[in-house]
Order: sequence, then structure tokens, then C-alpha cells
Amino acid sequence: MATLNSLLRQLFDLLLSPFAGLPSVVPVTAISVVVGVAMLWVYKKTSNQQKIEDVKQQIFASVFEIRLFNDNLPAIFRAQGDIFRRIPRYLSLSFVPLAWMLLPMVLLIAQLQFHYGYQGLQPGQPVLLKATLKPGASLPQDAAGALDVALSAPEGLKVEAGPVWVPALREVSWRLAAERPGSYQLTLKAGSESLTKTAVSSEKNLRRSPIRVGGALLDQLLYPAEDPIPTTSPFAEVKLDYPEAEVNLLGWHTHWLIAFFVLSLVAAFALKGWMGVEL
Amino acid sequence: MAGAPGKPRGRSRLALAAVLVAALAAALGCHGKKAQQPKVIVIGLDGLDFTLTGQLMAEGKLPNLSKIAQRGFFQALGTAVPPQSPVAWSNFITGMDAGGHGIYDFIHRDAKTMVPYLSTSRVDETTRFFRIGKYQFPLNGGKTRLLRQGTPFWEVLAQHGIDTAVVRMPANFPPSGKADKEISGMGTPDLLGTPGTFQFYTTELFKYYGKEITGGEVHEVVVENDQVQDKIYGPTNPYLAPIEGQKPERLAEPFTVYLDPHRDAVKLVLADQERLLEKGEWSDWLTIDFKLAPTQHLTGIARFYLKQVRPELELYVTPINLDPLAPAQPISHPEDFAAELAERTGRYYTKEMPEDTKALNAGIFTPEEFLHQAELATEPQIVQLQQMLDDYRQGLLFFYFGDTDQVAHMMWRAMDPAHPAYNAAQDGPFAEVIPKLYQKFDRVLGYVLEHAPPDALVLVMSDHGFAPFRRAVNLNSWLRDNGYLATLDPTRRATSGFFDNFNWAKTKAYALGLNGLYINLAGREKDGIVPASEREALMKELSAKLLALTDTKNGERAITKVYPREEVYQDRGHLEIGPDLVVGFARTWRTSNESALAGLAAEVFSDNTAAWSGDHCMDHETVPGVLFGTRKLARPAASLKDLAASILVELGVQEPFPPRAPSAP
Repeated sequence: MATLNSLLRQLFDLLLSPFAGLPSVVPVTAISVVVGVAMLWVYKKTSNQQKIEDVKQQIFASVFEIRLFNDNLPAIFRAQGDIFRRIPRYLSLSFVPLAWMLLPMVLLIAQLQFHYGYQGLQPGQPVLLKATLKPGASLPQDAAGALDVALSAPEGLKVEAGPVWVPALREVSWRLAAERPGSYQLTLKAGSESLTKTAVSSEKNLRRSPIRVGGALLDQLLYPAEDPIPTTSPFAEVKLDYPEAEVNLLGWHTHWLIAFFVLSLVAAFALKGWMGVEL
Repeated sequence: MAGAPGKPRGRSRLALAAVLVAALAAALGCHGKKAQQPKVIVIGLDGLDFTLTGQLMAEGKLPNLSKIAQRGFFQALGTAVPPQSPVAWSNFITGMDAGGHGIYDFIHRDAKTMVPYLSTSRVDETTRFFRIGKYQFPLNGGKTRLLRQGTPFWEVLAQHGIDTAVVRMPANFPPSGKADKEISGMGTPDLLGTPGTFQFYTTELFKYYGKEITGGEVHEVVVENDQVQDKIYGPTNPYLAPIEGQKPERLAEPFTVYLDPHRDAVKLVLADQERLLEKGEWSDWLTIDFKLAPTQHLTGIARFYLKQVRPELELYVTPINLDPLAPAQPISHPEDFAAELAERTGRYYTKEMPEDTKALNAGIFTPEEFLHQAELATEPQIVQLQQMLDDYRQGLLFFYFGDTDQVAHMMWRAMDPAHPAYNAAQDGPFAEVIPKLYQKFDRVLGYVLEHAPPDALVLVMSDHGFAPFRRAVNLNSWLRDNGYLATLDPTRRATSGFFDNFNWAKTKAYALGLNGLYINLAGREKDGIVPASEREALMKELSAKLLALTDTKNGERAITKVYPREEVYQDRGHLEIGPDLVVGFARTWRTSNESALAGLAAEVFSDNTAAWSGDHCMDHETVPGVLFGTRKLARPAASLKDLAASILVELGVQEPFPPRAPSAP
């Protein structure tokens, strides 16, 4: 999974790089249209279009029956019963294409989330970096009994406070602030173990990783923006509190994912006739 | 008419065109503004003292003020009677004295109920509720009213098509709504509805027990497993129906402080907000969202200061301010102006006078901590001034700073070795704080001069000056000792205030506020006993005795003037609100805090040992303000009352101000 994520990261960084300097609504719209077309194509190729058309016709016939015989109560109930019986059939016919689309969509959304879901660190704006210990792990101590843990930041990124060790949360944290825009790599040392974490301070739509997690499959599926934490590290995850971002869709400020779903559905419905797809 | 269709149709087309043009102009926000307007920028520096300013200028320490004085003028500016900020700024705003604008003191009393109230604004009481279970929903009231009467001078300017921006004008809460842009200043409450109530959390049990702490609350907390869990307290929940026999429930928002077991640092968690604080650090603004009822919230903002972690945890929380991004009460006009400023300069203190003098007085802050907090409060204001100057094109820009007043109140002692609480070792290092503060604002004025349009008139003004406050006089105790005020229990010689232990049936006069003395008049006061026919004679008698009052410590006269309200105020309309006599204390004397709140002390005189060591609530002639201008005024102003009319003239408005000529006494 880590290898796949690494390849996907490189691919998406490359594909999305032309859009990096544009308002996020531009790439989100472009991607939504492309995805809408792709979903239509997958739907067409993996579904039984004839059966879908048949069951939809039957449902429409029942709706028509209700309008036609609206003074005949038994006929209305029978037509409604037919509609309710055919809807599961219609949904089941959509299941196969949806199953085909599920995994690519999860991978796609997971990649896009880290390009459009977060803002870069604002210069001068404090942000917390929190490292959580694995269950059973402990922080190394030096000879004097003090915690042997340190965070080093490159020039342009300042560690303002910390480490603050909170045993109840099994968490050690620092407060950082970018001094100027840039893409940085922090190094977290715990005894002899060291771990890196990316930090991006930029207005551009670049990949930002709010959390670096371990190698578990689900973690890697949901948080693919950085390599997994090595198994030898005492830390389970390292979080950087990027502020969340919004897309400005014609004055509607919303999460990119909502804009993506709306726009891809609009694109799919607009183009289904042209592509000859029965939805 | 029907027989001559041609011309009327032409006229109606013309009229229609005129209406459309007017509608278009209104839609575009033109509102009849003059295209070319004169330019006047007024910087209000509360409490900037005439004598000290002159002295520092002579020493070459205020180059920008000196530059203004050389280009234009520098003069003393007569202050208000009494010289208290809400009164003085109201004089400036309305061109009237307290008899006209109705603000006589920080505190007034309702004579019918004898309940004291803040003089500048009042919240209309809710009398009708709709109840569902434990909740009640108000059907009326709840509106905050500005009590200052009269026409603000910027309203006249607006009527003449002049652009107006009025930032933090005191005694203007809620904002008058008459300027193009307004944000309220002194008089704006915190979320609790008070002038500012800090909260202080400490593990040191009993340290503050029994101590009278005004303007703040101390909460004792316990550390368990390196954690402290407590709540930030808001106002009482107006949506919860009162239960008989129970105190109203206060809104509260829980928070947790995690202590690092090895270092003097903590992690603070409040709702979904997390902050790291090292010892001596301030957080940024955190949002505090109190839940009132399903779907109803009350939001404020506060900053946290980690004073100490060990041996005792000490955490200070600022008064909960109205959030400028979404204020729970109107603090600006238009309503989104406060948010517009916050979006450009970051969140800021919205409560009046943000410098937490109470925390210093209570010993929660050290002088260094107080000065740092005052700086944190002022810095965003300076940035806002810079932003306003960037936007400024013409018309009036007024911008107010209160730091010069609040810091002077708290740090004056450092310049006054004769002060009874002066300690050379403790106060000596702060001797230059006030001069340096004056120098800081001189630099701000340098920025203004640099960025103001070259043809703009820049005025710098203060509402009053300053003087040492060494000795406190409890007027109520003096009235008691001289037989004018009776107590219910003569053995209780000291009370905290609010007329506690007053025997109204035998009381002829009482003091309330910093300069006010009232006759307990029959038919006016709730339990008045002095017939109207005896009022004047009693006032004369009291005046004569007060003027002869000498301090037991040094035999000097403590009071230089006593003014009957009918004589000292020229304007009319709201004279009945004010005190019958206004007491003008000699320089270095002032009303005691207890007396101001209608309380008693065992002795009439006492040393002022509080950190609050400078003041101005004395005889108005001893504490004039300042007025600087980059050019001479066409209509000179000798006092605050005259200044607005002078500004109107500079902005091309020649009509008399105040608009309604005050009637003669």
C-alpha cells in the first residue's frame, strides 16, 4: 500500500501541478467534469444498460398509472407497491458499477483531500504539532531523567514552544510558526529514533499532510500524503494542525468534496445523453 | 390637464429620469456625499496631561507633537465638570455640558428605586417571557440603549454630506449609527455585561480568600494526574427560567489544562481548540461558545495567560470580550464594520478600556505583566489606525486611544516619590513608564503626520489631564460624621457600598460616584426627607463645610470647589439626573472607592495605597487636557465643549453647534 501511495502521490503531484497557482475552484471543477465523464463510462461498461432501462420504464409506468387512475384507490396502491418493489431492483443494478468505482474513488478522494482540503500554514500564525505515542511505548529519558525528545525545524519555520508532554494523552507537542512561505521538513527525534514530517506554508494548492500515520492498511488508505511512520518509531502518529480550506464556488464557500460531488453529478447528468448512458 | 398631454408627459419623463438617477445614486451608496471635502483627522489620547506633555516637549522627547505645535498650535483644553472621561467625551461629542447630555459620572442612581446604574448605557429589562419546560424565551426587552443625549457632531457632518469614521469614541455604546463607520469604545461591556471581569485560576488555596477583588473572579482549582479541569463562567442564562430559592445558573464552558510533569508548560484544551503555553506566555484569542438553549449560543472571545505553573498553577483569563467577527451586541455601524476590522487586523479587545487595571490592583498582575497586557491590547489598535489612514480620503476620521489614561492611573506613583505607597525599590524602575508611553504615542502621531494627506488638519486632543492621587476622601463618612447621613447600625462603620446600612429616614445627603453629592430630597428620592424648600440652604451649608474640610494628615484643604448643579451647568434638558453638588477635590485628593459606590469607611481620610495611583476626578481646573493642531483653527476652542463646533467649521459646516441652542439657566 505504501508503494502504491508513493506512486499515486507522484502521479497526482504531477497532474495537479499546472493548477497549483490557480484558485482551487478551477482544478476542482476540471477534475469533477473529468470524473463525471469517467463515472459515466464505467457505469456504461459495467452495468446492464438494457435491464436498467427496463426497470426505469416500469417505474415510470407505475407513476403514470397513479396519475391516470387518481380516482381509483386500489389501482394507486397497486402502482405504489410496484414502484417500491422495483426500486431495490433498480438499486441492485447500480451496485455493480458502484463497486467498480468505489476503490478508485477512495484513492482519488484521499489524494485530492490533501491538495484541496487544507490551507497552507500562514506565516506568523501559530500551529500545533502533536506526536502520539504507540500503546506501550515510552519516551526515552536522558541521564538526568529529562525527556530525550526534540524537534528541529529548518530555517523559515520556528519552534515557538515545547515540547509539552501530556502523559494522560500520551502526546508530546510543539507550537510552530512559519516565518516565510516554503515547503519544510521537520525532524522529530526521540532518543536514537528520528522521524520526519512535512510542513507547507504556501498559498498554492500543494499537497499538505496534516497527519503522518503508521503502516496499517486503513491508515494508509485514508492518509496517503506521506510515507508511513517506520515500525521502529515509538510514535503512532504525528499531526500538524493545518487550517481547513474552502472552495469558493460562485460565492458559495464550501468544502471541496461537496463541490466535487455536486459538480461531478451535474457533469454526469449533463453528459449522459451525449454518451448514451442510462443512469 | 388631460387636454395638454404633451408637456406633462415630457415633465413626467424628466421626473422619472430624476427618480431613476436618485435611486441609482442611492443604490451606489452616494447618499448625497460631497465630492470634494475638507480633511480633518482627530486623534484622541485619553488623559494626556497638559503639564507633563509640555515638560516632555521641552526636553525634546516628543518631536512629533513639537512639530505639530510649531506648524500650528498647542494649548490646554478645558475639561468637563466633573473631569471624568464619560462626561468629558460627551461634552466633546455633543457640544453641551452634562446638563444637556445627561452624563454626570460613571455611575448614576435611579432616584425612585435608589438602584445605581452605569451612566452611559442601559439594557431594557425583559418583562414578558414564553416558557417551555425549564426554558423561557424573551418576548420583549433586551435592547441596549445609549443614554447620552444630544446630537453627536458627526451626525451634523453626515447631514452635510461629509464622510465620517469614528473609532472607539467613548460614551458611544451602542454606536449612534449616525457616522459612516463607527465602533464603540469606553462603555462597551464584556460578555458578562460588566466593564470587564477577568477570571483567575489558581491552585494556591485561600491566597485570595476574603480579599475584596473588584473586576475579577478567583477560582481555586486542584491538580489531579497533572490535569486541571474547570470552567470559564459567562453570564446567567437568560433562557433558563428562574427557580425560586435558587441562584440563577451561570453559563459555563469546561476547559482542561494538562501540565507537563517536567517543564513549566501546559496544554490548554477548550472545546475543539488546543493551545500550548509556556510559563509567562499569552494565548491568542480563543472562542468561548456558551450553549443557551437548543439552537441558541452566546459567543465571546478571551485570551489566556499562563502566569505560573509551579509551585502553584496560576492561569489568568481576560474578560470575555464580544467577538468582533460575530458580536453578541451591536458594537459597530454598519454592523459588519467590527468584523471588517478584525479580518484585516486580527481579533481585538472590544470591551471598553482593555488594559486590565483591576488585575494589577488585585495583585494578580505584576506591573510588568500589566504593562505587557496593556501593550497587547493597544498594538491591534495601532494597526487599525494605520489601516484607517490607508483608507482615509477626506472628511472626518476620529481615532481614540485609552492606553495613556489607563497606564497613567496605574503607574503614576512611579513618578511621585511623595505618594504614600511609593517604594523606591519597587516603583523606581517604572519611573519612565509614562514618559515612554507618551513617546510611543508621539511615534504613532509621527506615522499619522507621514500618512495623512498633506492638506489634512490633524488634531490631537485629550479629555483631561492627570494628577497624583495620594489621599482618599470618603464623602459618605464625612456626611455621617457631620450628622447629614444616618446609619441603621452605628457600630458598622465600614460598608462596601450600594447604600448598605444607610438609614434613609434620617439621612439628608449622600454621595455616589466620583464627584457627586445628592440631597435626599422629599418627593424625588425614594425615601427622601429634605423638603424642596430647604434644599438650597442645605446645599449652601454643605458647600461651606466641604470647602473648609482639611485633611487630618497634613491640615491641607482637600476640596477646592463645590458646584451647585444649577450654577455650573449652562445646558438644560437633563439637569434632574445629576447630583445636586459636584465636588471638586484639590490636586492629590479624590473620592475613595467605597464612597464612590455609596459605601462607608471608619475614617473620612485614608492613604491611597492601591496601584491606582494617578487620577483626574478632581477640581476640573487642576487637570486640563491638551489640544494640538497642525494649523490654527478658524474657530478656536478653549474647552471640550467648543471643539466639535470648531471641527465642523474646519469641515465646511458653518451652522451653530449644538444644533438646538441650550436654553439659559
